[in-house]
Amino acid sequence: MKRKVLINVVGILLAFLLGALVMILQGYNPLETYFRLFEYSLGSPSKISYTLTKSVPLILTGLSASVAFASGPINLGQPGQFLMGALLATIGGLYIDMPPVLMIPFLLVLAMVGGALWSGVAALCKHFFNMSEFITTLMLNMIADFFTFWAISYPFFEENANYPQTPLIAKNGWMPDWGNFGSSVLVMLIAVAIIWFIMNRTTAGYEWRISGQNSLFSRLGGVNVNKNYILVMLLTGALAGLAGGLVVMSGPHRFIKGLGANYAWDGVMIAMVANSGVILTLLFGFFFGILQTGSLGMELITAVPRELIQVLQAVIVLIVVAGRGYFETLFAAMEAKRKMKERTT
Amino acid sequence: MDDIIEMKQIVKIFPPSLVALDDVSVTFRKGEIHAIVGENGAGKSTLMKILYGMQPADSGEIIYNNKRVNFADPGEAILAGIGMVHQEIMLVPQYTVWENVVLGTEPVSILDHLDSRKARQLVQEKIDEFHFNLDPDAKVEDISIAARQKVEILKLLFRNVSILIMDEPTSVLTPQEIPQLFSELKRLRDNGHTIMFISHHLDEVLELSDRITVLRKGRKIGTINSGEATKAILAQMMVGREVIFESIRKQQSAGEVIFEISGLNYTDSEKRQKLKDVHLQVQAGEIVGIAGVEGNGQLELVNVIMGLIKPQSGTITAQGREISKDSILQKRKRIAFVSQDRANMGACVPATISENAIMTHHRLNGSFTRWAGRVLDNRQIANFTSVIRQKFDVQMSSGEAVFKSLSGGNQQKVILGRELLLDAPFILLDQPTRGLDVGSIEYVHQQIMEMREKNRGMLLISADLEELFRLADRLVVMHRGKVVAELITDQTNITEVGYLMLEGMAYEA
Repeated sequence: MKRKVLINVVGILLAFLLGALVMILQGYNPLETYFRLFEYSLGSPSKISYTLTKSVPLILTGLSASVAFASGPINLGQPGQFLMGALLATIGGLYIDMPPVLMIPFLLVLAMVGGALWSGVAALCKHFFNMSEFITTLMLNMIADFFTFWAISYPFFEENANYPQTPLIAKNGWMPDWGNFGSSVLVMLIAVAIIWFIMNRTTAGYEWRISGQNSLFSRLGGVNVNKNYILVMLLTGALAGLAGGLVVMSGPHRFIKGLGANYAWDGVMIAMVANSGVILTLLFGFFFGILQTGSLGMELITAVPRELIQVLQAVIVLIVVAGRGYFETLFAAMEAKRKMKERTT
Repeated sequence: MDDIIEMKQIVKIFPPSLVALDDVSVTFRKGEIHAIVGENGAGKSTLMKILYGMQPADSGEIIYNNKRVNFADPGEAILAGIGMVHQEIMLVPQYTVWENVVLGTEPVSILDHLDSRKARQLVQEKIDEFHFNLDPDAKVEDISIAARQKVEILKLLFRNVSILIMDEPTSVLTPQEIPQLFSELKRLRDNGHTIMFISHHLDEVLELSDRITVLRKGRKIGTINSGEATKAILAQMMVGREVIFESIRKQQSAGEVIFEISGLNYTDSEKRQKLKDVHLQVQAGEIVGIAGVEGNGQLELVNVIMGLIKPQSGTITAQGREISKDSILQKRKRIAFVSQDRANMGACVPATISENAIMTHHRLNGSFTRWAGRVLDNRQIANFTSVIRQKFDVQMSSGEAVFKSLSGGNQQKVILGRELLLDAPFILLDQPTRGLDVGSIEYVHQQIMEMREKNRGMLLISADLEELFRLADRLVVMHRGKVVAELITDQTNITEVGYLMLEGMAYEA
């Protein structure tokens, strides 16, 4: 446990050091830059609230990828599932109106259904034609991208708009904000809690995790591997779809072209640094949220370009992921040395 | 004869705590065949890999030709004249024999162009020099395993290696091919080559070698001249006590038939018939052993019984129920299964010990879950793990530790505990002692006998005839996918069964 924390912290620190080096080479002051970065994203309670709200789609798509990777299916379709979830929630919000107590849960469920339908297509392709979800989810991303583009350009296009977008959804379906604190954060936290419980306490989660690590063993143990595969695909699609729905309902309140263009890929990245752990996904998702929100402030004040933060994110992923393997061999070697010493004394 | 290599006080530890070699010192003489024998895990291969530069020693030194050496990799060892032939043959199948032999040291003409004529000629010269019966133009994929092994040896001789390490060279050969390998090795020795020969087959060792070094659990027990050795002496040195070859079965009458296979045929996707009309029966309270050289249909039989592959025809009945169409979970109500492949089939190595202990139980036994089987009961799981730990004497820190951290023997005890506590009437044991040390083997055997007393029926697949004779009431011999004989253990002997395994028919004098 201590080691895990150490590996992650060391990875992040090393990445920051590398980032500082790049800044120095380019003539920027790294200390000031980093100060601005964190000041802008964490400098006051309202800034923290804002950053948290911005982290919601990162964490949810990260969670989607984490659950999938931990359980075996390589679902790389978060971008597509995100868009389909967002689209379905938007359509619901355009044609149906109910009091918020009903409307909000209804739209959230629609968003999840949208994501799950999309990942379900990939699951069916695997089930019936044995097509790898690794490929199909990636290709379905493209289709979702252009399909939603078409949907907001023609059938659901806002009349007279000069940009591809839908009209606003019914006001009863907007996620309420308390100051800068969006209620989407609560929804996200509930989702994280439920997923943690499923993965760590339920029979299904146990079977998923074991199948993810050794599918033959679970099959021989009596686990219905095929059924679990479909369940995991649907659940992870639903999580990515939920992220899409929440972005629509708490942000622009409509589906607008380019919605969530980057979130979903960050999800895969977050799952990788988090080693597919639920709690680590939450932490890293928030951390990436801090970096992304802070990068805006950094750019405004210090002239360091925002792209540097993307570099920083990538470096963190590389160092933490590579470091995990390296540290393990290192610890094993240390252990062996210790044993040697014990024997000689 | 002169000493050529001296390995002094070699220690090798594999993290976290496996002492593979403990202060081992061996001297090799020029021009001898020196056998290294020991059971699985005794440290034979590790010792040779250290000499060959594949693994560093944690301490100790190697003196070669009166100089201290320390090869960083096999390339350096080969340059110095030491070569190793591994168990698995590593050649390019699509290349010809001569292409494989010169690969990496090709003679080149101008502009680095491969001089094929010269290369082929050089290889032909080596083949003639050592009387290897090989066609340099044959493609490796078209020649027999024995010939491929010769190519591996030739490859090293081509690089002017004078010391050859052979890691269990006979394990890939058929019995008919072994004498030829031996005569070639002897000829090499007479030419002044030194050969180190890893094996655990005592007959081979006695026939081939000049001196024999015995390792047991990472320690050197001794080096003796093979003229002074007998099978019994070596066996005792290897296992550290007199080996009881006889049975440990108590008299017991078998009960009703609880498991039956009939008319089973299986042909794989490449149209090779792996199981031919297999019939067998297991009664409650008896152990039926399947004897056979590995690869004669045992693997397919296990996979068919467990439902991993579908047979073309035949029925499998357990407790009177035809189970071949059942889901694996359904089957598991009647069949406990200990696999020979711990890492892939028997356990989930990166998961915790508890998570490994409850597999299958979590579906079949309601006490591990609450809320209609949906939520795991962690307290029950922890209890169950400690039951296994006590009943099966598992050395472990806690159920939350990763399975990987256990030694091989303890891993097998956890698996055995899990499967035996399933209380299934029929137990399928596929090489349950493979890769275990002597103490663990003894323990597993005791547990199997206990299950027999509890009236379970067992099917025991083993490559180890001594194990079969020790445990099984009846023996079924498999040869090329067919059951060629059914014998009562007490009315047969190892020689007869060995002959049946190799030839597929009874010995006729």
